[in-house]
Amino acid sequence: MKLKKSIIALVFSVFAASSLASSGMEGQLAPDFALKSSTGENLRLSEFRGDVVMINFWATWCGPCRQEMPLLDELYSRYQRVGFSLLGVNIDDDSRRAMDMIEELGVNFPVLFDARKEVSKLYDVEAMPVTVIVDRTGTVRYIHHGYKPGYEDKYLDQIRSLLRE
Amino acid sequence: MTKTFITIMASSLLAFSVVSVAQDAAPMDSDAALAEARDAEAQEAQSRDEFRAIDQDVQSLKKEVLDLNRDLFLLEEELLFPANSQVAFFVSMDVGEYFDLDSISIKIDGKEVANYLYTEREADALIRGGVHRLHMANLKTGEHELVAVFIGHGPNIREYRRGATMTFDKGIGAKYVELEITDSITAQQPEFNIKEWE
Repeated sequence: MKLKKSIIALVFSVFAASSLASSGMEGQLAPDFALKSSTGENLRLSEFRGDVVMINFWATWCGPCRQEMPLLDELYSRYQRVGFSLLGVNIDDDSRRAMDMIEELGVNFPVLFDARKEVSKLYDVEAMPVTVIVDRTGTVRYIHHGYKPGYEDKYLDQIRSLLRE
Repeated sequence: MTKTFITIMASSLLAFSVVSVAQDAAPMDSDAALAEARDAEAQEAQSRDEFRAIDQDVQSLKKEVLDLNRDLFLLEEELLFPANSQVAFFVSMDVGEYFDLDSISIKIDGKEVANYLYTEREADALIRGGVHRLHMANLKTGEHELVAVFIGHGPNIREYRRGATMTFDKGIGAKYVELEITDSITAQQPEFNIKEWE
């Protein structure tokens, strides 16, 4: 019984620590990176400076990611023309699976492929999805771990407030 | 007449008495002046001694500063140009038609040290004359092998993957290596060169 409790406590603390790892990035400059996109061109985060940028880390095997992506696509369609950019970073080993899923879901925002997991390591991503919101100056302002229905309302409020800044 | 004589006599007497008083006072003033002069001399001597001491202090301080400066210079040289000194790799492009750069990766002595993806904006900057510092490394003195792989699109939007190799000798001091992409009009193809800056 004691052993079971210790194991639960250990697992909980590891989970909490991993959440804290990327939470510690709030207020810091978002680490720059460049990745190949689904359209074939290379996209670099720093070239989006001046826009509010949402970076969404996802994988094809992640159920909540599948739920979330169409909602993110709506945000992208609505706010792109007023200075909002969305970069979906896929971490699958095989980018073809990601391409299939993009087509299936019909998303329009740029999807970048991080097969070598370099960018996800840079952002301390350990569980999917992770959504990072970066302001116009390139500073990380909000980090969301996981997805539950209703999170998109939080994203909306945060994006609108950053667009107004 | 008598009045005049008396006036003259009185004036003479008055003048004579003033002179007498003055002569009595003179010895006292000269003593004070002498004492003052002696004091001044003593002070001057003291100042000279102090000045000499300060001068000696300044000279010894100067010497210490010069010694320190020399030590710092040698230390700086050891820190900036150690045996494991820096090598910098730069990328330049002089192309128009034959190559659309996508990425460059470099290996030093068989180990990949850099892999850079170029965006359209960055490639455009290179074509306009920009030079990109791709990587900086610390390498030991001696021979090293550099392998650079250029990935992009060539003529007719054909995918290009071309390598260039160079062996360079690392001596004391910083080394600068340029990876150059140029158009070869005769061959109608891009050329990839590696050269060292002197």
